[in-house]
Amino acid sequence: MENKGTRQYDVVVIGAGNGGLTAAIRVLQGGYSCLLLEKHNLPGGFATSFKRGRFEFEASLHELNDFGSAEAPGDIRTLFRDLGVEDKVDWIRIPEAYHLITTDKKYDCEMPFGVEAFIDKMEHYVPGSRKSMTEFFELCNEVRDAQTYSNSVNGNTDSSYMKSHFPNFVKAGSYSVNEVLDSLKMPQAARDILNAYWCYLGVDCDRLSFLHYGSMVIRYITRDAWMPRMRSHEISLALESRIRELGGDVWYHSEASKIHTDAAGKITGVELKDGTVIATHHVIANCSPHLVFGKMLPASAVSEQAVRATNAREFAGRGFSMFLGLNKSAEELGIKSHNYFIYDTADSAKQFDLMRKVDTNHVQATVCLNNAFPECSPKGTCMMYFTTMFMSDDWGNVTETDYFKEKDRVAADMIQVFERETGCNLHDHIEEICVASPTTYARYCGHPEGSIYGYLTADWDSLMPRLMMMKEDAKLFPGLRFAGGYAMRSSGYSSAYVSGDISGRQTVGDLKAEVK
Amino acid sequence: MKFKRQIFGFMDMLRFKKIVPKRREALANGANTPIPQEYRTNVLAKKLHPGSMEVELVAIRDLTDRMKEFTFRRVDADAFPFFRAGQYVSLRTAVGESLVSRPYSISSSPREALENKLTLGVEDAGFFSHYLNTQAKVGDRFTMSEPSGEFHYETLRDANQIVCVAGGSGITPFLSMAKSMVDQDETYDMILFYGARDEAHIAYKAELDALAQKGLKVVYVLSDEQKPGYEQGFISAELMAKYVDLKQVTFFLCGPAAMYAFLEKELAPLNLPVKAVRKDATCCLDLPIENPRTFRLTVRIRDQVSTIDAKENETLLTAMERAGIPAPNKCRAGGCGYCHSKWISGDYQVAEKRDGRREADRKFGCIHPCVTYPMSDMEIDVPPSE
Repeated sequence: MENKGTRQYDVVVIGAGNGGLTAAIRVLQGGYSCLLLEKHNLPGGFATSFKRGRFEFEASLHELNDFGSAEAPGDIRTLFRDLGVEDKVDWIRIPEAYHLITTDKKYDCEMPFGVEAFIDKMEHYVPGSRKSMTEFFELCNEVRDAQTYSNSVNGNTDSSYMKSHFPNFVKAGSYSVNEVLDSLKMPQAARDILNAYWCYLGVDCDRLSFLHYGSMVIRYITRDAWMPRMRSHEISLALESRIRELGGDVWYHSEASKIHTDAAGKITGVELKDGTVIATHHVIANCSPHLVFGKMLPASAVSEQAVRATNAREFAGRGFSMFLGLNKSAEELGIKSHNYFIYDTADSAKQFDLMRKVDTNHVQATVCLNNAFPECSPKGTCMMYFTTMFMSDDWGNVTETDYFKEKDRVAADMIQVFERETGCNLHDHIEEICVASPTTYARYCGHPEGSIYGYLTADWDSLMPRLMMMKEDAKLFPGLRFAGGYAMRSSGYSSAYVSGDISGRQTVGDLKAEVK
Repeated sequence: MKFKRQIFGFMDMLRFKKIVPKRREALANGANTPIPQEYRTNVLAKKLHPGSMEVELVAIRDLTDRMKEFTFRRVDADAFPFFRAGQYVSLRTAVGESLVSRPYSISSSPREALENKLTLGVEDAGFFSHYLNTQAKVGDRFTMSEPSGEFHYETLRDANQIVCVAGGSGITPFLSMAKSMVDQDETYDMILFYGARDEAHIAYKAELDALAQKGLKVVYVLSDEQKPGYEQGFISAELMAKYVDLKQVTFFLCGPAAMYAFLEKELAPLNLPVKAVRKDATCCLDLPIENPRTFRLTVRIRDQVSTIDAKENETLLTAMERAGIPAPNKCRAGGCGYCHSKWISGDYQVAEKRDGRREADRKFGCIHPCVTYPMSDMEIDVPPSE
C-alpha cells in the first residue's frame, strides 16, 4: 500500500453530524485543509435514515425550520446556498404547522403556517385571543430582526443601537415564555396551544427563554418547514459530497479518542481509537464538552475553569423513538396530520416533571411522513415515527437483560396513547417496527446518557447568554471550538447547521489571525 | 407595540443586562470535581454493542456428518452481549492470503451469552465453512462481530403464535429462539417444522426433544426417509395446516433458497400480508459467468491506496478479502449497510433483489460492496474495519 497523505491538517473536525459537516465545508471554503472524523460508517449523526423491509425510515428530522422557499429563503436555505448544497437536495414543503392534542384539557387543534392564518385559527379555537396573538408575532418579528442584526455584526452588538432599534427585544429578553405571554395578557387556552412547540426545545415554558421560543416560532410560522425527499440522509450525503468536492477528507470508522497537547497546553494532534495520530492545531468538536474536557484532552491541560464550566451544565432530554411501517395508507388508517404533539398535560412545567421518569412520561411528537410526502413509502402503506425524551437519567436504570422488554414496553405505550387520542388503529397494521432508546443514541452518537438535545437551555444557560458569551466560552481552550447540539446555538437541525457555520468560520478566523 | 413587564420599562432593560453575568457566575460555580468518565446508558450501549469482539474456539463437536458445532468464548471481555434470539454474528479470520468472514446464526441462547458462551452450527458448504469444518481447532482465535440482524421476534409486530420452518442447517437460529422462549425472555408460542433428508441429518435432535418437554412444539419432516414419529415429504402448507391455523401466525423461515421458493408457492393461496412471513437472509454468492473477466479495483482506505484484481463474477467484497484487505462487512446479503462505501469511478451491477441501499445512497454514489460486482476497472473509498 502507498501512503497518499501526510496526516497533517489545518483543522480536524471530530464528528460528522450536522454541525461537523457544516463546519468542515466552512473550513475548506476558507482555504484550509480539513479532515472530518466519524466513528460510524455514515455521515449525519442523527441526520440519517435506515431501511427495514419496504420502508426507508427517517431517523430524526421532523421538519427543517427556517428554510423557506427558493424565492423567499430562510436563513437555513441561505446557508445551504452559501455552502453549495441547496441544489443537491430535493426539497418538499410541509403542509401544516402542527396538530396539538392534550389528554388533560382535550385540546385537538390543527394549526396552519402563515401568521394571518395562525392568528385566525387561534381566534377560532380561543375567541378573544387575536390582540395578544398579534402582539406576540410583532414581538417575535422584532426578535428576529434583532438576531439578524446581531448575526450581521458577528455577535458584537452595540448596546445603544440595540436599545434604540429593538427595545422590546431587550425588555422581553430576560423573561421566560410564560412570563412574556402573561404580560401580553394572552388567554390561557391560547398560551396552551401556542406553547405546543416547546418539546422541540426540550425545556418547559416556565424556564424556556422567550427569545429562544419566539425566534423559533416566527421562523416556523412565516417561513414554513421543509423536508428532503430522501430523508435527512440526503442532506448528510449532499454535505459530505461537497466536502469531497472541496478537497476535504472524510474518514469513517475513525473514532477520535484523544486530543494531544504540548507542554503549553496547545493542541498538537488527534489520536484515533486505533492509535493513528493526525497532526493539527485546530479541532472543531461536534460532540459534548463533557467528552472533550472529561476524556479526550489530558486532564493536566484542562483548566479548573473549564472543569467547573462543564460540570455546571445539565444534560437535556435523552431520546426515545419508535418507527413504524404500516401496511395501510394514512388515509385508510385515519391519520390526518403530518406532525402531532400529544401531551399528558398542557402545563409544560408539569409535563416536564412527568417526563423525568420513564413510567410517567407519555409525551410524543409524532410524524406521519406520508401526509407531507405521499410517495415516501409504497402505495397502500405509510410510515410513522414517534419521539419522546426523558428529562433525567432514569433510563440508566435499565439492565442488560431487561433492555429489549423495556424498549417494547415504552413503544407499546406510545402506540396505545396515539390510538387512544386519535381513534386510529395502528397495532394490527405494523409490518416493520424499530425502536431506538437512549442506549441506541449513546451507541451511534456517543452522547452522554443518550441525550439528543445537548445541554438544557433553561434559565441561566438559555440561548441568548450563550450567544452573547460565544467569544468568552471559546477562550476556555484556544484552538478548540464546538459545533452541534452542545454548542452555542443549542440543539435541533437548524441550530446545529448554524453552529457548524459559526465555528467553521471562526476557526478560519483563528487560522488567519495566526498568520498575522 | 410596547412590551413591558415591570412597572418601568428600564427595569426590564436592566434585567436583560444581567443575563450574561448570571451565566458567567453559574459556570464559575460549577463543581470542581472530575468530569464523569462513564455514564450508565453509555456503559450499557457498549455492553450490548461492543462492535467487534475477540473470541477463542473452545469446543468442536459433530452435529451431523457434514455439520459441526463450534463453541466460542470471548477473550476481550468476560461475557458476550445479551442479544435477541434469531440474530447472527459474523466470524472473521485469515485463511491463507485471504481475510475471510461469514455470517452465522447463533444457536446458543441469549442467557448462555452472559455466561461467556456462544455457539454456531456450521454446515460444510462453502469456502469458509469448509475451512471451519476441516481445519479450525480448539484454541484458534477469531474476530467476531456483535450479534446483529432483524431476523428475530418483534413483540409489537408479530402474532403470538409463530411458525418456524427450518431447512437443513437453517435450524440454528430456531434453537436459540426455542431456548429463549423457554427462558421466558420471549413471549411467543413456537411451533417448529424442521425439514431434513433423513433422521441422521437432523442436527440438535436431543436438544430439540428436551425443549419439546418444556413448551416447544416440534415436527420433524424427512424427505427421503419414512419413520414413525416423523412426517414424510416436504414442509407444505397442507402439512403445516394439520398443526396450526396458518392465517393467525407469523412465519419465520430459515433455509436454502430452494426452500424459500417452495414455501412462497405453498403460502401464496393464503394471501398472507407481507408482515406475516419473515425470511432469514442468505449470503450473496458468485455470479454464474463463464470465463469471467478480471478488472483492476483501486481501494482507498483513509490515506492508504491499493490496487487489486477483481473478477466480474465476484463481489467487490470478495475481491478485497482475497487481497487481504480488511473491509468491513456483516450480513453479506446487501441489507445491513455495514459495508457502506463510496463509489468513485467505474461501472458495476448490484445483485438482483439485493439492493439494500438507501435512496440517497444511489443518488450520491454509495455502494454496498457485499452485493456489488464490477463491470469495469473501478475505484472505491472504503471505511477501515473497526
